[in-house]
Amino acid sequence: MSQATVPIDFRTNAQHVPPKMPAAVQKATAKFLGTRAALVEALGNDLWQTLRQASHDLRLHAITHLDHCLERAERAVIKAGGHVHWARDAAEANRIVLEIARQHHVKKVVKSKSMATEEIGLNHAMEAAGIQVIETDLGEYIVQLKGMGPAHIVVPAFHLSKEEIAELFREKLGVDAPAEAEKLTQVARMKLREEFLSAGLGISGGNFLVAETGTIVTVTNEGNGRMCTTVPPVHVAIVGIDKIVPDWESLTVLLKVLARSATGQKITCYTQFISGPARTEAETGPKELHLVLLDNGRSRILQSPECRETLLCIRCGACLNICPVFNNVGGYTYGYPISGPTGMMFASQILGAEVAGGLAFASTLCGACNDICPVKIPITEILLHLRHRVVEGDEQERAVAPSLLRAGARVGSVALRTPWIYRLGSTLLKWFQAPLKHGGWLPKLPPPLNRWTMVRPLPVFASDFRAWWRTRSREAKGPQ
Amino acid sequence: MDSAREEILTKVRASLGRGPGSPVAPVPPTARVKSRTPGPLDAEIEQLFIEIGKLNGTTRRLVSKDDLKSALADLVKAEAVKKATCWTTPDLTTSDVAGILEALGVKIVSPQADKHLVAECELGVTGVDAALPETGTLLLRSSPERPRVVSLLPRVHLAILRRTVLRADLHQAFAEAKDAGYCVLVTGPSRTSDIELTLTLGVHGPKSLYAWLLDAP
Repeated sequence: MSQATVPIDFRTNAQHVPPKMPAAVQKATAKFLGTRAALVEALGNDLWQTLRQASHDLRLHAITHLDHCLERAERAVIKAGGHVHWARDAAEANRIVLEIARQHHVKKVVKSKSMATEEIGLNHAMEAAGIQVIETDLGEYIVQLKGMGPAHIVVPAFHLSKEEIAELFREKLGVDAPAEAEKLTQVARMKLREEFLSAGLGISGGNFLVAETGTIVTVTNEGNGRMCTTVPPVHVAIVGIDKIVPDWESLTVLLKVLARSATGQKITCYTQFISGPARTEAETGPKELHLVLLDNGRSRILQSPECRETLLCIRCGACLNICPVFNNVGGYTYGYPISGPTGMMFASQILGAEVAGGLAFASTLCGACNDICPVKIPITEILLHLRHRVVEGDEQERAVAPSLLRAGARVGSVALRTPWIYRLGSTLLKWFQAPLKHGGWLPKLPPPLNRWTMVRPLPVFASDFRAWWRTRSREAKGPQ
Repeated sequence: MDSAREEILTKVRASLGRGPGSPVAPVPPTARVKSRTPGPLDAEIEQLFIEIGKLNGTTRRLVSKDDLKSALADLVKAEAVKKATCWTTPDLTTSDVAGILEALGVKIVSPQADKHLVAECELGVTGVDAALPETGTLLLRSSPERPRVVSLLPRVHLAILRRTVLRADLHQAFAEAKDAGYCVLVTGPSRTSDIELTLTLGVHGPKSLYAWLLDAP
């Protein structure tokens, strides 16, 4: 299986976040948010809000006409000389890419950063088949050497210090370089240059797929994305079916909001537009281009009108940067390559409530993500619906919350509505808590209530609310 | 393979309550933004150069062939250029960039040569198919005379542009380039902040970007 089947336990993961993680995360997110805010100010808030609304409207148009857009893109890619493959799930996508690699007797693949390939576990599948896959985005290269996944969708290795990276390079590459960003980057450039020139296949994702001309758009800064799609003789692009936009005019809007929201740039260093393989024999560039259109649960997300807008996401990472939870736990805690608010929405639907339903609860619902999202996804509304799905079930999934929890919720609801049960409960609680009391707190409760106390103590139950209210009113009046 | 296609499209249509021939609404007008009105050409060039400068690019205006010669001599010296590769578009051929470089003792490698040879060049010279002042962006197309690797593999990228390539914004540039098969927007030299958020130039692409405006034949 290429997709996680073990339930993701965010709460437990959050207990094991090293203290240096929030420090590194907050340094990065503060920087991105700061440069982003300065650019929004330069544009003026009115124009920025117009751009957000336009981005939302055109992404929504694209996904609500997805069948039409996909067929149009397919026709255009084929017309331009490319091959189009459709993958229902992760396993099928991996099989398709492996088959292409086998046909070309590929031993080595260079890959640019792509969340779709992280989602399907492509590297693992390729390596299991004896094909070496080299991540070429500097951050991804570093975390790959470290044997980890990305800690942030835009800056994957932001939690590692330059000293740790220097040590990693010494150990894995046998290169003794001083712990300086510039020197370490040069080491990676040199090492990866050889790989680009010798790889038989280049794999990329796609930030957008333009239906009008079948154009794969990649937005990068380092140039590795260009290398992977220019230097090897064959290019495979794995693109989620949700990445589609109707036409080039749409790009004029989305490119404006993407880089600003992601890294606080007006535009990234390299934005590439690839429509088919190299057109003539004399032109450099891949002679063969394969586009893999990945569903993997997206068509099901589309089914739910409440959750559909999950698919508007352009993976800028702004919601990660602003999220108070993400800022304290970092990416790994989410147990999924796409982390933060957008990752929670996406993972709990793609992996299903059974595996990732818990992620929908890893939010304070403060709504900062809604306000920063450049395509105006109502993230907290979707998370609320997903919580509802986990606890009570909906037309897509049955309830997966423990039956004890659901029973507890029902009992609670009855008790709060029935005065005599409430009064009785208040009295009983005072007795039951006595042996567990530690000062004014209940530091440890038996399961399943320990889900709360493993994170923080519960204050002791002090009084029946009604009794307290009566005393309070008397005290408020005071002796007159 | 076809069954996957049919299954995905069927599921998508079912989810949206659409059929194979369902009508397609036009993109709503609220999803569109206005195009930018350009200023006078000189101001546009000024802005282009300022933006490129902000992103660590180097700009220069050349008004004669002699200017071009001395600028190339400076560049060859500053960047220790021994080998160079160059687009073979009519414009660059007319201005004889390759010839001037050869006269400066630089070995010219064909841009169509094996990728390993092109990668050994310190300098890649390209033209520019469109330039966007707002962001300091250069649009480069691909064709047999415009190999993609020239602006990618060498350590230094020199882009020579003409006044006529200035465009108001992406709307205008895209309208011209969307059927090109391939194009790339280049905005400053290759960069990363992946190690401790420290800005570092020249990760995989060129470490230096020179953009020269040539106002001579």
